[in-house]
Amino acid sequence: MSSDFLHEPSVVEGRPSFADIDRQISAPLDQKPDYKYFIALGISSTMLLIGVFFIGITFYYGIGLWGNNNPVGWAFGIVNFVFWVGIGHAGTLISAILFLFRQKWRTGIARFAEGMTIFAVMTAGIFPLIHVGRPWLAGYLFPYPNQHEIWVNFTSPLLWDVFAVSTYFTVSFIFWYVGLIPDFATLRDRTTSKIKKIIYSIFSLGWRFSNRHWKNYEMVYLILAGFATPLVLSVHTIVSFDFAVSIMPGWHTTIFPPYFVAGAVFSGFAMVQNVLIFVRKIFNFEHIITVDTLEKMNKVILATGTMVGYAYAMEFFMAWYSGNQAESFVFLNRALGPYAWAYWIMVSCNVVFPQLFWFKKLRRSLPFMFVIGVLVNVGMWFERFVIIVTSLANDFLPSSWAYFKPTLTDFGILLGSFGLFFTLLLIFIRTMPVISIAEVKAAIHGSQPTHHDHERGEYNNE
Amino acid sequence: MTDKFTNFDEEKIVPQIQKTDEFSEQALEMPDLSKMSPINRRKFLALVGASTALAATACTDYRDKGKIISYNKKPEIITYGAANYYASTYRDGSAILIKTREGRPLGVVGNDIHPIAKGKASVQAHSAVLDLYDPERLKSPQKNGKKISWQKVDEEIVSQLASAKNSNTKTAIFCNEIHSPTFAKLLEEIKLAGGNVEIFPISLVSDKNREVSWRNCYGNTAVLAISWDKAKIIVAFEADILGHEGRPIEQIRGYANGRNVDDAKNFNRLYAIESTMSLTGTNADYRMKLNPLNSFEVLAAIYNELVEKVAPMGYSSIGNYSLDSVAKLYNLDRKVLNLLLNDLLNNPGRAIVYAGDALPFYTHNLVNLINQIIGAAELYDYSNSKVSFFEGNNPHRLKQIIKEMNEGKVGTAIVLDANPAYILADDFGFVSALKKVKTKIAFVEKESETSELCEYVLPVNHPFESWGDYQDRAGVVSLVQPVIEPLYDTRQIEAVLLSWLSGNPKAYSYDIYHDYLKKYWATNILPMLSAGDDSEKLWFACLHDGFAEIPAKAEIAKINVENSLLIPKLPNLENPPKGITVLLTNNYFLKDGRYANNGWLQEIPHPVTKAVWDNYAMIAPATADKLGLDYKDFNSDMIEVSIGNRKLKLPIIWQPGMQEDVIAIELGFGRKKAGTIGTDVGFNAVKLMTKNDDISPLILTNANIKKLNEKYKLFSTQEHHKLEDEFVKDFHRIRHIVQDGTLAQFVKNPGFIQQQREMTEKEIDEHSVNPPHDYGEVKWAMAIDLNKCVACSNCVASCNVENNVPVVGKEECGHGREMHWVRIDRYYSGTSEVPIVSSMPMLCQHCDMAPCENVCPVAATTHSIDGLNQMTYNRCVGTRYCANNCPYKVRRFNFFNFRNWVADGFYEQDSLELMHNPEVTVRSRGVMEKCTFCIQRLMEGRQEATKRGEKFLGVGLKTACQEACPADAIVFGNINDPNSEISKLAKHKLGYKVLEIIAVKPNITYLAKLRNINEEEAL
Amino acid sequence: MNNTIYGVTGIFETPDGIIEAAKIVEKSGYKRFDVHTAYPIHGMPKAMNLGPSPLGYFALVFGLTGAFAGFLLMTWIMTYNYPLIISGKPFFPYPAFIPVTFEITVLLASVGTVLGMLFVLFKLPNNSHPLHDTDYMKKVSSDKFGVCLEAKDEKFSEAAAKELLISAGASEVGTIYYDEETLNFKPNIFDVKFNVFLLVTAIVISGATYVLLNKLMYTEPFNWMHHQARIDAQVPSKFFGENNFSMRTPPKGTAARGFAPYQYKGQPELAEANLTNPLPPTRENLEVGKTKYDIYCSPCHGYHALGYARLNGQFPNPPSLHSEKVRNWGDGRIFHIITEGQNSMPSYSTQLSKEEKWKVILYVRALERAMNAKEEDINNDK
Repeated sequence: MSSDFLHEPSVVEGRPSFADIDRQISAPLDQKPDYKYFIALGISSTMLLIGVFFIGITFYYGIGLWGNNNPVGWAFGIVNFVFWVGIGHAGTLISAILFLFRQKWRTGIARFAEGMTIFAVMTAGIFPLIHVGRPWLAGYLFPYPNQHEIWVNFTSPLLWDVFAVSTYFTVSFIFWYVGLIPDFATLRDRTTSKIKKIIYSIFSLGWRFSNRHWKNYEMVYLILAGFATPLVLSVHTIVSFDFAVSIMPGWHTTIFPPYFVAGAVFSGFAMVQNVLIFVRKIFNFEHIITVDTLEKMNKVILATGTMVGYAYAMEFFMAWYSGNQAESFVFLNRALGPYAWAYWIMVSCNVVFPQLFWFKKLRRSLPFMFVIGVLVNVGMWFERFVIIVTSLANDFLPSSWAYFKPTLTDFGILLGSFGLFFTLLLIFIRTMPVISIAEVKAAIHGSQPTHHDHERGEYNNE
Repeated sequence: MTDKFTNFDEEKIVPQIQKTDEFSEQALEMPDLSKMSPINRRKFLALVGASTALAATACTDYRDKGKIISYNKKPEIITYGAANYYASTYRDGSAILIKTREGRPLGVVGNDIHPIAKGKASVQAHSAVLDLYDPERLKSPQKNGKKISWQKVDEEIVSQLASAKNSNTKTAIFCNEIHSPTFAKLLEEIKLAGGNVEIFPISLVSDKNREVSWRNCYGNTAVLAISWDKAKIIVAFEADILGHEGRPIEQIRGYANGRNVDDAKNFNRLYAIESTMSLTGTNADYRMKLNPLNSFEVLAAIYNELVEKVAPMGYSSIGNYSLDSVAKLYNLDRKVLNLLLNDLLNNPGRAIVYAGDALPFYTHNLVNLINQIIGAAELYDYSNSKVSFFEGNNPHRLKQIIKEMNEGKVGTAIVLDANPAYILADDFGFVSALKKVKTKIAFVEKESETSELCEYVLPVNHPFESWGDYQDRAGVVSLVQPVIEPLYDTRQIEAVLLSWLSGNPKAYSYDIYHDYLKKYWATNILPMLSAGDDSEKLWFACLHDGFAEIPAKAEIAKINVENSLLIPKLPNLENPPKGITVLLTNNYFLKDGRYANNGWLQEIPHPVTKAVWDNYAMIAPATADKLGLDYKDFNSDMIEVSIGNRKLKLPIIWQPGMQEDVIAIELGFGRKKAGTIGTDVGFNAVKLMTKNDDISPLILTNANIKKLNEKYKLFSTQEHHKLEDEFVKDFHRIRHIVQDGTLAQFVKNPGFIQQQREMTEKEIDEHSVNPPHDYGEVKWAMAIDLNKCVACSNCVASCNVENNVPVVGKEECGHGREMHWVRIDRYYSGTSEVPIVSSMPMLCQHCDMAPCENVCPVAATTHSIDGLNQMTYNRCVGTRYCANNCPYKVRRFNFFNFRNWVADGFYEQDSLELMHNPEVTVRSRGVMEKCTFCIQRLMEGRQEATKRGEKFLGVGLKTACQEACPADAIVFGNINDPNSEISKLAKHKLGYKVLEIIAVKPNITYLAKLRNINEEEAL
Repeated sequence: MNNTIYGVTGIFETPDGIIEAAKIVEKSGYKRFDVHTAYPIHGMPKAMNLGPSPLGYFALVFGLTGAFAGFLLMTWIMTYNYPLIISGKPFFPYPAFIPVTFEITVLLASVGTVLGMLFVLFKLPNNSHPLHDTDYMKKVSSDKFGVCLEAKDEKFSEAAAKELLISAGASEVGTIYYDEETLNFKPNIFDVKFNVFLLVTAIVISGATYVLLNKLMYTEPFNWMHHQARIDAQVPSKFFGENNFSMRTPPKGTAARGFAPYQYKGQPELAEANLTNPLPPTRENLEVGKTKYDIYCSPCHGYHALGYARLNGQFPNPPSLHSEKVRNWGDGRIFHIITEGQNSMPSYSTQLSKEEKWKVILYVRALERAMNAKEEDINNDK
């Protein structure tokens, strides 16, 4: 079974020894962070605090502090939620789906992407809680036994969301942690400091690298990957149900599930790619997170971006084809109405610019791909904005149309969400191995026994 | 044997003993702790923690829900939790029933047996409870801003009045127009008592011109009421008969009676010829734009044509006006004018021309003449001529008294809850004159512009705390009775004056005026009723009914055609005034500004412009473009209107159907001292009025408009868009929201609406995968007849009171967060020159397949077994998903705790707690709410039926909006009861549902609007 | 001090080496041995001759449990426990259950499998395993590959094991001992520190919960709509200063709909003259009259209106209602007395509504009639 993926070029450039890998990957954990790190942390945590402040006053005074109005009941809150859930899709995709497809190049970035998934979903999870009118009753969203025998409404997509997102978070977290156990063990045995040793021992659960364990471990990893794959698809599908199941023109669309999933992968990859560009530079992982890897990600971005573009076109076609006046108006209104600006930002960032990735040169140039990545995320944020706000603002009854104007609080909380995400990310970088030591070791040349004849043959070829 | 037994026993016993020993040993020994792994210790720790936490959670505080207090001596008529109704009359003359619970007024419904009210009340009357419980009512007498006791007030003033009587100084009394015969009598007595008292009833807007012209024509001012329901052709010249002129309640009812689609023969036709877009204009079948200055000419033209065609005795044509000439001059539609003329000719005795209050008296003369010719006299209600007690608004007398005030001839000025400082034009110089008066006494309910100039400021009772009577029609005298003793240390004007009149400072008693009133009735009114019956009994009968119908038969004199006054020479016709004409109109809700502090009234969207909390210059788009004025939602240009040296800064609003070169401004705004809510709302258009107006106080000519380069946030609850904008044109028709057709079309093909329908309930059920739910015997539904609805907004007002709807304030309205459960949607089609207006009340449709329900994650909104779409407030988390998914956008979200949010918790003060309907939950912040079909009333009905052991079919239950609708456009009931009216209307030929295409099966049936226009011209 | 042997370890340099070693050890019949490598080595399970992993079944079982539990829970809730009409959907909207069912399946399957593996199969966490903190472990966790033969194996003898490993090509061999302290570790439940810790947690947690649930949750902005800004019947109001009495008495002289005030105050004759009983003596009216009479009148007047009853002696006895006088009174007179009271009899206006008064009067009449019936009554009965 191991033969098929040894064909492709190695994940890791050069032939570092196992010890080197240990040293390099755990370097960020061993040495003291320099001032750059603290500046970064300072910025992100300031953003976080701003967000916390605005969430606080929202909690105290009410949603009225946001720009939401009567037709537009959902705006930034849900836009951010969908955006961050989307970001959270890259990780599991990389670690699960690419794993099933035996895409070896994922090993360098899997751990990191998973981390980002966790943090993105955590960030996303905040919004459903703070966007409700009475946050202290958010517990009503869970079916718990109570003396009134009042239960939740299982026909509501929002409730499906609750289950989907919480399941997704739990499973990705387990997936991530299972991957971390052996690395914690390695760190436990490397470290010299007493406290670190205790901490690592606790987290490594006393892992012993026993091959009797490794056997089951690989099995469980396979199973998890098998479950995570449909899960990751289901999550954004269900998020898209929030809109597809409603009857609002512009929401009530059958194309939403695939369209949303594609979009999620799209933005997720862009975000991972952006962050990796920095990480590999700062912690010189260039030969572990190789340009080939990034290029492959860009290919995925190109592909998904094109899918999203197709979805946009298809929406218009369907709107016209349905012959439903309200439906077709909503889409015309997006492109030509008061929100045209948002719509065209979305189209250019999501459909037009990524097409430049057709050129290999651009695909491999770090600064360029970074810019595209940023644009893609901007575009994807606006996609959600366009879908949610424009559909609500001009729906069936012209009498209750209204234009949505965001307030300072809206922006504050949006900023805060980025603050939270990056703060968590920065802490993660300094406290855990951002690259899976065990997996990389298993992936480098000479890491696997060579006594099978055909494999030896291949070695000779090189 | 026995041994055996013993052995046997021993055998049995021994092991037992051993066992117990073993056991006890074990019990004494310590458990082997080494077996305990650290895990167990942690578990143990966790357990302890958790259990203590639980224990603490369990022992919660007992929260005192407050004590229960019952009556020491329960009044006979009161049952806990059951409402009582008192017949009374509100300030504006609407005969009402005041609803009280445990002796506290909670709301108002029209007096059902009153001949004029017929069970309907005005918007102001509905919102009156908010005025009663207004925390800013003046609570005790004040002298120069300091608190003072009534006794001292009485002593001081009685002595001063006495001294005034001796010195030959005048006493001027300024009051509102007087409609109370008893009070009039009292004032007469005061005048007779000497001391040179003069009385000046004043009002901001009056129908003085009509009176004057009536005197010219018929020699008296007893203007006859019109029985509108008999009229088939109504021609309104600059007259908002369905809006704010005359007795809207009565006029709307009359008009609506003539719009019964099941009686197409008698379907009336409404012509509106006006400059501003009035409510009447929006409802008119034919509407023509005309500068008010030219209405005389057009009427003259019509008059001439009539004279020519009918050639009645003694009538001679005026000038050389002909329909052709005026049509050309003022580009009116010649075809429509012809039609109008023919209608007037062909409907003798069924047609009437009506001129607005604003128009000058000579125009009214013409109208009277025309009405004579076309036999409109048959439409007059001779038993109901106008009754007025003191002649009001006489500019000459006012100028005179103000002159004397300046000269110091006036020693005492008493203002009886009027506000001359606000409603008198500045050039009267009232304010400065008042300062020269020695003793200044103001009776007020709340501090006002006038009261702050006065030395003595005396708090008066709200009508709900006062005795009195009211008469503005010869045939009916209504009674005013208190339903609660004064909330504060207030007295009612009449009582105080009565006590002063007696000259004895101690004369006042709470019942002093009550007795006076009874005496007056006993002597003057009761005798006119059924003779012989003892007066006490009669009195209580009248009090119980709220009115007394007295025989009155007005004779209408032969009109004196030769009267030279009738056809005056018309100064403004030779040299027509240049520049912009300003038309001042009465506000629909605030009236003369007295209701400025009533948030409910401020917040009801203007029936035409949909703007809230503001007034503005209504201006035609064409004129706006000409003057380079820009109007956008929430952001309109400010202009300065100047007439001579009189100036007013205010924003514009873009209004289709306005006459070019005319701007209309509403009065009653811009109060400078009206309490937290009412102060500085809008702009005071009185600043433009003048004491010596040439045409009419409300029509001002030669105005200039200067564009100021500042913007103003003008908030309306409905977006405006240019009618020419093809992108969004006529959506209400394209989407089958408002269905309309012509009467001719309907007569020809009664089923035409059914043919247009997108999907009927039957089709939906056929297509649906789920069988429709079976709602047993009771299922609530509503029908709204768009032919009758004139968009007067009474339903909104009464819903607010019934359902504790909060006031959200201007800013929040700007965010589109108004909380009204029922709103009136207004749609334009046609062009901005000749717009066709359709309005429809929109409230929760209680859809059978309510889209809001299945999206709520916590099942806070579900369907009841009797087909209501319910909100469970306590369960609601506030995701707003339901509101998003509501195609009708009728759900309202409490973005804040609005009671706390508006004006620093203005509406959270204790006095307002008394106002809230105890049967309806006061919703907290973060909760979704919407129309409930007044479920509290339905449950009460169910409860009554159960109590009486009857089968509940919901007969006779009414929702608040239905109760208030003066046109009876709203019908509510049990659709599963084959005998109910609603079950018939639901199957009506004109019945349709809004947005049928989405198949949510709404339970509100709308009856399509028919426009009574000629067949050849389709819509 | 360490004396008990846990096992013998051997370090190998290359993946190939370790594979070979594993095979050799396995062949030589050792059962209790293990191979430690920093990452999974392909082919190792075969070399060690390990069976297939059971985790697949874990996943299957947990997954199915989740699927059924989820679906059945939803069905029970929506269809049986608390059915609600929602958007006119049927009470068993199974298509809507699919997403949640799927999520619960995945959740239980993955969580169950992982926890099962870690805590059931591997018996983790276990940081006190003898292999920990040995430099053998340090090596194998980084870049070396190791085999460990456990002493528990019956074939085990330290020398032979070392011999075997060296022959298999181990670069170095060593012996691992149990750590005595961990073996004889005895925690003491009466350890003061531990108990103080417990106490403190208990106090802190309970205090915090109490403050949170009973104080914090009732301050702004938390709003449970418990306090309603409205005045229900019999509820006090801050507005009316004197004893917060929120219920008002209507001003005197007013007339509510359906309640014309009583006009004959202090004029029994007038009342008698003008008031007549509007109600017919029907069975219903009489029954209501009886109940009311028994409640309000009988305590003094007696069930049969004879004038002696339960309260005899405590009040001046009322006269019999069968007296000539009373029998000849008009109904209006009796109505007047019920309304206004007479001598020591108080007014019963607040207890009896107008109709009820008339019904009571009907009943009283019936009683009187019963006491001295006339001939025709008997005939009527016939």
